[in-house]
Amino acid sequence: MNLRKIVHGTWMAFCVFLLVSPALFFFIWMLSLSLKYEIDNGAYPPILIPERIAWKNYAGVFESNNFLLYFKNSIIVTGGATLLALMVGVPAGYGIARMRATKSAMVIMIARMTPGLSFLIPLFLLFQWLGLLGTLVPQILIHLVVTVPIVIWIMISYFETTPLELEEAAMIDGATRWQVFRNVALPIAKPGIVVAFILSVIFSWNNFVFGIVLASRETRTLPVAVYNMLSFEQVSWGPLAAAALIVTLPVLILTIVAQRQIIAGLTAGAVKGG
Amino acid sequence: MASVTIRDVRKSFGAVDIIKGVSIDIQDGEFVILVGPSGCGKSTLLRMIAGLEDISGGEIRIGSRVVNNVPPKDRDIAMVFQNYALYPHMTVAQNMAFSLKLKRSPQGEIDERVARAAEILGLKPLLERFPRQLSGGQRQRVAMGRAIVRDPQVFLFDEPLSNLDAKLRVAMRAEIKALHQRLKTTTIYVTHDQIEAMTMADKIVVMHDGIVEQMGAPLELYDRPANLFVAGFIGSPAMNFIKGNVGSNGFKAESGQTFPLAAAPAASDGRPMVYGIRPEHIRLTDEGVPVEVVVIEPTGSETQIIVRPAGERDKPVADHSSAITCVLKDRIAARPGDVIRIAPDPKSIHLFDESGRRV
Repeated sequence: MNLRKIVHGTWMAFCVFLLVSPALFFFIWMLSLSLKYEIDNGAYPPILIPERIAWKNYAGVFESNNFLLYFKNSIIVTGGATLLALMVGVPAGYGIARMRATKSAMVIMIARMTPGLSFLIPLFLLFQWLGLLGTLVPQILIHLVVTVPIVIWIMISYFETTPLELEEAAMIDGATRWQVFRNVALPIAKPGIVVAFILSVIFSWNNFVFGIVLASRETRTLPVAVYNMLSFEQVSWGPLAAAALIVTLPVLILTIVAQRQIIAGLTAGAVKGG
Repeated sequence: MASVTIRDVRKSFGAVDIIKGVSIDIQDGEFVILVGPSGCGKSTLLRMIAGLEDISGGEIRIGSRVVNNVPPKDRDIAMVFQNYALYPHMTVAQNMAFSLKLKRSPQGEIDERVARAAEILGLKPLLERFPRQLSGGQRQRVAMGRAIVRDPQVFLFDEPLSNLDAKLRVAMRAEIKALHQRLKTTTIYVTHDQIEAMTMADKIVVMHDGIVEQMGAPLELYDRPANLFVAGFIGSPAMNFIKGNVGSNGFKAESGQTFPLAAAPAASDGRPMVYGIRPEHIRLTDEGVPVEVVVIEPTGSETQIIVRPAGERDKPVADHSSAITCVLKDRIAARPGDVIRIAPDPKSIHLFDESGRRV
C-alpha cells in the first residue's frame, strides 16, 4: 500500500515535470546564458552551470543601453494603457453585462482578434499627421487595442456573476444608476478588476509589434530595446539573455504575487459563496 | 405609511401574459400576503409595486400618487429580498445606513436611526460585522433593519423566510408579525407557504396563473373558499375532494359510497359535483363510511391517516384520486389494511360545481 503510494507520487511528479519542463528549461537556459561568458555560451558540450559567473552581462545591460529610460518608457506605456483600459473597460463591461449586449461584446472580440498590424499603418499615418510620433502617446493609445478588450471581456464575465438583487436593493434604497455602479457594483467587482489589471499589464508590457513600428530611439519600450541588442555581426547571447530576464522580471513578480487573485478571479461565480 | 391601490394591473413578457388584470386594495397599515404556487405571478406583482418591473397595463398607486412611471428610488418603499441582498463590502451598520447616506441625511440622524433599528432587531452587537460573518437568521434581520431605518411608506417582502431552516422560520415569522404590530407600516409580503400566509396576514390574496382567485381574512378563506383552487391551497394538510353527485340522502361518490350532507343545495340533483371536506373535520364513528387504512402518520399531538374506499386496496400508491386524509386528535390503534368508518362533519362540507366554483 505504502509502496504503491510512493510509486504513484513519483509518477505524478514525473508527469508534472514533463509537462512543465519546456517552460522551465527555457527559463533555466536563459538564466544560464545570462550568467555565462561568451566563450562558455558557444561551448560544446553545452555548459549549464558555468565555473565563472559573468555578472558583467547584467551590468552591461544597464551601462551600454539607456536601459533605465526604456524601463521608464515601458512603465508609462503599460501604466497608461492599463489605466485607460480600466477606466473605459470596467464601465463598458458593466453596461454590456447588464444590458446583455452580446453583439457589442462580439464586436470587441473581433477587434481583439484582428491582427495588430492591420491597425498599425492607418494609425501610424494618423499619429504622423497629428505630430505625435516621437512621444509615448501613440504607443499608449495603440496598446489600448490590446488592453481594452481584455478588460471588457473579463469584466463582462465578472459582472454577469454578481447578483442582480444587490443592485435592485440599492435602487430601492434610493441610488441612481450611477450610484448603483459606483457604490455597489464596483466594490463587489474588485477581484475581477485586479485580474483585468494584471492581465492587461502583462499583455501590454510584453507587446513588441507596436513598439518596433512606432518607437523612436527615445521612446523605445523594453521588448524593443532587447530586440535592438541583436546586431548584424554577432549575437552576444549573454547580455541579450540578461536583458530579456530583466524585462521579464516585473511581470514574473507580479504574476507570482497575484497568482491567487488571478485564479480566484477567473473561477469566481463557479461556486456560490455564502 | 400609505395605502396601496392596484387597479387592473397587467404584465406581459412578449406574448406571454404573466399577470392578467389584478386589482387589490391595501389599506393603510394593513399586512397583506400574496400567496400562490410557483409561477403564479406574485413575485412579479411585488416587483412591479417596487418599480423593478415595468407595468404593461393598469395602474398602481401608493397613497394618492400613481407610481407607474416613478423609479424605485422615488417610491418611498423598502424591500426585503429572498436572498437578503446585503452589500457584502459594507458592515451591518453601513448596510443599514446606506439609504440614509444616499439621502444625505445628517450623520447624527443616521446614527440615531441605525441605533434604534438595531435595538428593535437585537442587532447591536453585530453592527461592525460584515454580512459573511453572520448566520442566516442574523442576515435576515439585517435586511429588515435596512428596511426599517428608512421609515418607508410601504414594506415589501419577497419570500424572506424561504432560505431559513424550519425552526428559525417559525421564530422569524413571529418577529415579523410583532414588528408590524409595533411599526404599523403597510406591508406586502409574498410567499408560497400558506401557513405563513395564514399566521401572519390581515388579508390574504390567493393568486394563480396571473389572476386573483380570492382575497380576504385568513379564516374567511379557510372557512369559505370561493373555488376549488383556494380550497385546495389554503389549509394543511389540504382539503379532501371527492367527485360524485348530490343524491336524495347525501352525496354519492364515484366509488359508490354515500357521504353526509347538511342540506342539499337547490336544483343540484344529479349534476356532477365535488365534495370538499377538510381532514380535521372528519371523525371516526361506528356508523360512518367504511374505508381502508393506507398510511398512519402519528405526530404526537395528532394522528394523520390516509384512507381509501374499501375494496381499492390494489390501486397504485401514487394514485391519490380516491385517497382521503383525516387528522384526528386522538391516538388510534388501527393499522394499514384495517377497515375503519369515517364520518365527515356535515356542517363543514364544501360543495363545488363542475367549473370549480363554490355552491
